[in-house]
Amino acid sequence: MSPSTVMVRLGKASKTFHAGTVNEVRPLQNVDLEIAAGSFVIVLGGNGSGKSTLLNAIAGSFLLDSGQIELDGQNVTDWPEHKRAALIGRVFQNPFSGTAPNMTIAENFALATRRGLFRGLGWATSSQRMEELRDRVRDLKMGLENRLDTAIGSLSGGQRQALTLLMATWLKPRLLLLDEHTAALDPKSADQVIALTDQIIHRENLTTLMVTHSMQQAVNLGDRIVMMHKGRVLHDFDARKKRRLGTDDLLAIFENIRRRELLDEGAAEMLRQQYV
Amino acid sequence: MTLLIGALTLGTILALLAIGVYLSFRIFAIADITVDGSLTLGASVTGVLLIQGSLHPLLATGAGFLAGMVAGMVTGVLQTRFRINPLLSGILVMTALYSVNLRVMGRSNLPFLGATTLSTLCEQLGVRWLGGERIELFGWEVASGDVTVLLLMLLFVALVAILLWAFLKTDLGTAMRASGDNPQMVRAMGGNVEAFRVVGLALANGLVGLAGSLWAQYQNFADAQMGIGMVVWGLASVIIGEAMTGVAGVGLAITGAILGSILFRELVAIALSFGLNPNDLKLVTAAFVFVALVLPETLSRLSVQRPRGQQEVA
Repeated sequence: MSPSTVMVRLGKASKTFHAGTVNEVRPLQNVDLEIAAGSFVIVLGGNGSGKSTLLNAIAGSFLLDSGQIELDGQNVTDWPEHKRAALIGRVFQNPFSGTAPNMTIAENFALATRRGLFRGLGWATSSQRMEELRDRVRDLKMGLENRLDTAIGSLSGGQRQALTLLMATWLKPRLLLLDEHTAALDPKSADQVIALTDQIIHRENLTTLMVTHSMQQAVNLGDRIVMMHKGRVLHDFDARKKRRLGTDDLLAIFENIRRRELLDEGAAEMLRQQYV
Repeated sequence: MTLLIGALTLGTILALLAIGVYLSFRIFAIADITVDGSLTLGASVTGVLLIQGSLHPLLATGAGFLAGMVAGMVTGVLQTRFRINPLLSGILVMTALYSVNLRVMGRSNLPFLGATTLSTLCEQLGVRWLGGERIELFGWEVASGDVTVLLLMLLFVALVAILLWAFLKTDLGTAMRASGDNPQMVRAMGGNVEAFRVVGLALANGLVGLAGSLWAQYQNFADAQMGIGMVVWGLASVIIGEAMTGVAGVGLAITGAILGSILFRELVAIALSFGLNPNDLKLVTAAFVFVALVLPETLSRLSVQRPRGQQEVA
């Protein structure tokens, strides 16, 4: 992989929370990861595997304990979250996280049109912006184009996630981070949002990291699967290998991890006492 | 009638306090007690500049606004840069300001005797415009100066309110409002939530300082005690205003805060004229805010718990 085509590079990224206490967790342990520009990477892993932490580390929700992060050739390791937002679009798991509930749809989008840019004293909901907004919201086919002045908090979770996705990609981001953004939705809304996700990513050719719990989504979407376990990248399937994977294969791999886990915790101790 | 005009004027001036409290309380969800200090700071800074600096009243008033902004900025920095609990940050700055105000004034009560204030300027204008010391208004004879002060204050507050409303509708103002509504979302959109909070609290306390400055010029003295309990006063105005105009939209909320302040001052004037002991005023105000805060929840709980079949008699 030549350097110019790498969009994201993590080098020996590590993070420990609650260090030195009984609650100590190490969600990232010397993670090395390179993501090519334009690739759509699915991140899989069980609870506590570090997959959401990986996304949050890249977004800058916290700073790494060690290691470094490069985004589009720039070393962003020490950048605060709001500065990295100039390069990153995000959709969160919780539909409440990505929107300001008491403000109107129009005002929420006004924020998105200045993501990572200077905010001055220009009128936030100018008629020119509203016109463009109405057009793009109409494309969602949710009938929201005539409700731009309603508080966004009054919409359903699916509508909010669709709008958040549109907001995150309003200005083309160098990297799109999707953190289980359909996990909190009913199946029908989840399907709609996934279809929209795929459509936007392909139309804009976005470099994407998407965390999911759904094996179905993992198989159907993207061109690479990264599987995390206990803060490390355990498996990495490129496009060629991914094409041969089915949901059954993925489930089998998970089962494997789980068995090894059982052995690790209980059985290993017993074996050690007997044989060592 | 003179009493009524006096209450209206004070209510109008304190509307600036109400708008400031609206900013910190409704946008950032902080009961910012810095207000108790920054109100007095605005008054004392203006007073000293008028008396010792012989500055033009407009400039001295502007200085009161700036002084309030600095106070709010300090509170904001304590909250964001040093991560001190918002309530404690306000208490620290308010306490510090008590000494600062005494230092600025050099004593605990500073009369503006002989100084040209905004109020005296307005009164002079009034006499010139209306052509006489006293005029008839709805059959009452009133001092033309008093009427002019009230009208000009109303105009000034309306102007400030419109400017604030417009600011809150800009890119910067919208991001600032959103940072109180959902800080995580604003960070993801590249907004510096901490900076917005500092700016917001500075603006809020600037308005409060402005209220203190105008109030002192109207009553013709500044006093180290004049800010005590004023954050609760502002909260009461905001809550009354919300009951009148609702909370749908920034414009309505600001209008509500102004109307709430005027109405509240009016209610207080009536209560005092009916024999309410002025010493009990703060107690009554605090009790009022308490009731206004718990009443909506209590009412909704009552209506949920009411057993079926026991409907209200129409």
